[in-house]
Parts: sequence; structure tokens; C-alpha cells
Amino acid sequence: MLEVIAYGLTIGGILYIISIGFSLTFGSMRIVNFAHGLVYAVGAYAVFAILPFTHGNFLIAAILAVIASLPVSYVIERFVIRRLYGKSIDYAIIASYAVLLMGVDLIKWIWGASPVPLSDPIGRNLAIFSFELPLYRVVIILLSFCIFIGLSLFFKRTIIGKIVIAGLQDREAVQSLGISIDKYFAIVFLLGSALASLGGALYSPISSVHPYMGFRVVTLCFAVVIVGGLGNLRGTAIAAYVLGMVMALTAWFWGPAADAMIFAVMAVVLIFRPIEL
Amino acid sequence: MLRNIVGSTAFRLCVIVAGFTCFAYGTSVNKITDFVIFCIYVMGFDLLYGRMGRISFGHMLYLGAGAYGAALCAKYLIADPFCAILMGILFGILVGIILGPIVVKTKGAAFALINVAFNQIGYFVVLVAAARYTGGEDGVSLHFASYGFINFANLHFLFAFCLACLVLVYYLTQRLSRSAFGAVLTGIKENEIRVRFLGYNTLFYKWVTFVLSTSISALAGSLFTINYGYANPSFIDPTRNVEVIFAALIGGPGTELGPVVGGTAYMVISNYLAKYITRWELFLGAALLIIAFRFRKGLVGYLAEFAARKRNPEKARG
Repeated sequence: MLEVIAYGLTIGGILYIISIGFSLTFGSMRIVNFAHGLVYAVGAYAVFAILPFTHGNFLIAAILAVIASLPVSYVIERFVIRRLYGKSIDYAIIASYAVLLMGVDLIKWIWGASPVPLSDPIGRNLAIFSFELPLYRVVIILLSFCIFIGLSLFFKRTIIGKIVIAGLQDREAVQSLGISIDKYFAIVFLLGSALASLGGALYSPISSVHPYMGFRVVTLCFAVVIVGGLGNLRGTAIAAYVLGMVMALTAWFWGPAADAMIFAVMAVVLIFRPIEL
Repeated sequence: MLRNIVGSTAFRLCVIVAGFTCFAYGTSVNKITDFVIFCIYVMGFDLLYGRMGRISFGHMLYLGAGAYGAALCAKYLIADPFCAILMGILFGILVGIILGPIVVKTKGAAFALINVAFNQIGYFVVLVAAARYTGGEDGVSLHFASYGFINFANLHFLFAFCLACLVLVYYLTQRLSRSAFGAVLTGIKENEIRVRFLGYNTLFYKWVTFVLSTSISALAGSLFTINYGYANPSFIDPTRNVEVIFAALIGGPGTELGPVVGGTAYMVISNYLAKYITRWELFLGAALLIIAFRFRKGLVGYLAEFAARKRNPEKARG
């Protein structure tokens, strides 16, 4: 049972790291950023590509992968999201979907369509009581808690975080104070994208790395945001861990049903939550 | 007088039928049957997007519901093609009625992704959960009964039948969008809150439209099943949703001829030009980006604008 809880916390932590950026764009602009999935995939593939150059040092490879994904997310924000935002939400979604599609095909072009193998970078197990846990998963859980605490402090203590939180609640009121809110959202967009690629880099050794991984993760992030509540960052965190648990429990009983179960939970939440999106 | 005739639905239907027939007998009947069915599917999609302003990124689910409804009926109940089509449409209606109340509550981005989520559940059901009946990854292959000249294995009969379905769906969607119901839909697209203030139960209207859209898509799905003689998970694959979105956008969303033009344009590109385009998804993505930034009215809207400018240069400029 402890194993299932640890797996749930690992998946939940990864989901949290990835969906925070998605939640910010969705909550602030009502845009589903499909390209978020691309940044996640870029993180995973960048680790795969960089690992040989760092002589198998996973930590440095992951950091370099996050840095490598920054220009990608900057281009997406500057030339797609910002140019279409405010004109038409539909076209912003379509354009971000187009970006994901192009990215998937570029990944297929460079690395091929079949999944690439990555092995557990630590490879040692941690013995707790009578259970054996991969140390790597423990590291992910701890790291996700650190990021959770760090982001909570960021949104509570720094002026950028406060402006973003205020903007999520009432965009026009913040603008009428003379604050150009787009600039601050652009900063947290980059932060969220960097976290997404970090999530991709961290998750790549324990899941499969394939070109279509971005599609799947976008819908998972969406489920997290719906369950957690729109524009509610604490809700996103709780929902990520809860859904991670749901996934781990479902996978324990019946492996292939894990994803479908998450969407079923999301549907139930939507039935009982009367708000209109 | 001439303009009245040219602008009438009957004339346009004649042009569509004549166009498809020439196209079919000029190239390959089998291939053009595919084109016709795909156009029906695009009509179902455009009823939601073009008329009601709700873009679904998971419409393959409803196509797949029809495809598997028809396949399961033919495999386990009776091999009668008409029963199979009816069963396919019934599956589409059922999925629409069950999912409708959840889906139509939302709009914009949430609507787009909820459909994807349900599409992934459907894909999982077909591929894994109900694999004993659906054949999992291999799908089911079928054989349909025939009665005299009503023989769906005959290419010419199948083509004529699909074309008749297209005409029927085209006529129905035209009637719908010109009726009071269509006016309410346009109102919902423009500003839903105001329509609700007028006393309309918008949730009900959206639900009905959603069910109509799913059942038209399901009709297309069951026709695909009959045309190919099998149903496999590619009929419900969530990664194929881009096809119908692309088709609806390039044709011109919300226009009368848009779905037919767009569906044909997409099928022409994917059937005849795909040979020369080595990176297919890259091409589709780039084309979608261009549409989203520069070409929002689609082929039909662009041509209409061009015609209006020719007829009346002063007015078009002002």
C-alpha cells in the first residue's frame, strides 16, 4: 500500500509541476495552451539529447533541458498567444494546437516516431520498513513539495506574484491601477513553461518518452485545473495530488484505466459544480 | 431572377451533386465516396462550431460512436446495412444525450478540451475496456446483407446512397439555420446572456444542437464503417481531431457551402497532395497557423468577399 501512495505522490507531484503554468494561462486568459504540452515534450527530449554530453549526469542535463526550452516558450508566448489574445479566444486555441502539431512532427523528424528509452538516473532503492522504493521517486516527491512551498511564497510575498493573483481575480481592476498586467503574465508564463519542461525532464525516466506525450499531458492538466477550480492555484495543487492518487490507485487495480479514470473524476466534478466556464 | 435561382438551396444542391458525380466518375468512385462521407462529418462539426460558436477538439468520439454502433449491430445483431446505420445514429444520439448536459454547460476553451477528455475515455473503452466486442486494436471486419439492387458492396449504389445522405443532411441543416431555432443559435454564438434574458432556455437549445451534431457525425461514422467494411480504433483516435477542425476552418465556418468545400479541400489535399508533402503534420500545423492569423473566413467567405468587391467596389471598400 505504501508503494501505491508513493507512486500517487510522484505522479501528483509531476502533475502539479506541469499544470501550474497551464492553470495560470487558463485562469487568466481563458486560453487552453496546447503548446504547453509541446514544452513538456521538449523538456523530456532535451534531456535525452543532452544526457550523452554530460556523461550521464542527469541533474545537469535536466537543468540544461529547462534552459533549452525557454526560447521555445518565449516564441510561443510572444508570437502566438499574445498576438491572438483579446482578438479571438477560438483562434488562440487553434493556433496553440497548430504549434503543438508542428512541434510533434518536428520531434518525429528529429528523433523518430518510436519511444526513446531513458533509465532511472539514480537506480538505487530506498528501504522504508519492509518496502523498497526507488530513490528517484522520493527525490521527485521532495522536489515537488519544495516547488509547492517556493511558489506559495512567490505568490504571497513578491510583488509579481501578488499582481498575478490579483489579476486572476479581477483583471480590469488591476489594469485600472495602471499596472500593465500582460507583462507580469508573460513573466509567469515563462516560469510556468520552465516548470512544464522540468516536469517533462523529471518524468521522462519513469514514463515513456514519445512524440505524442504532449497531447496526453494537456488533457491531464486540464482535468487538474477543472477539478481544482479555475484561477485557483491552491486548488490546482490539491487537485494534482488527489488525481495523482486516483491514477496510482486505478493503475494498481487495472493499469490501462488510469487516464480514463481521471477524466471520469473530472466529469463528476463538472456535474456537481454549477459554475459556468 | 438569375440571382434568385443561383442563390437558392436547390440550385446549390444540384451543383454539389453534379460536382461530386463528375469528380467521382472522373477519378475513382471509391475514393470520392470517402470525400462525400467526410463532408457529412464536417457538417456535423460545423453545426456546433459555425452555427453555435462552440469548437470541439474531440469530435472523433461521435464519429467513432456511429462507426462502432454500426459495426457492433452488424456483427452481433443482424447484418442489415440499414439497421446498422440506424444503430450508429442511435449510438450518436445516446452519447450526445448522456454527455450533453455536462458538455454544453461550458464554452470556449473548456468546451474544446472536455470533448478531448471524453474522446480519450471513448478511445480507451474501444481499445481496452470493451476489446472483447470491439476487437481492440484489430477492430472488427464486417459483411453486410444485400437485397437485389440495394447492395452496399456495389460501389455505384454506395456512392449514390452517401450522396443522398449528404443532400439530406445539407437540406436539414439549411432548414435548421434559417428557422427560428437557427436564429436562437446565432444569438447564443453572439451573446448567450442576452438570449437568456429574452426568456430562452439556452441550455436546452445547446443540448439539442449538440445531439444533432453528434448524430450527424455518427451517421458519417456508420457510413465510413459500411464503406470500408470494418471499424477499427482509428475511427475514434483523439489525435485525428485536427482533420475536421482543419476542414471546417478552410471551408469557412458558419457558411452554407463551407463544410462541403472545406471537406472536399481537405480530402483532396490528404489524398492527392500528401504524396508530395513529406512532413504531413508540420504542413497541417503551418496551414492552421496561417488560417488562424490571416485566412479566418475560409475559402467560401473569401470568395464571397471577392465577389462582393467585384460587384460593388465602392461599397466593399467603405
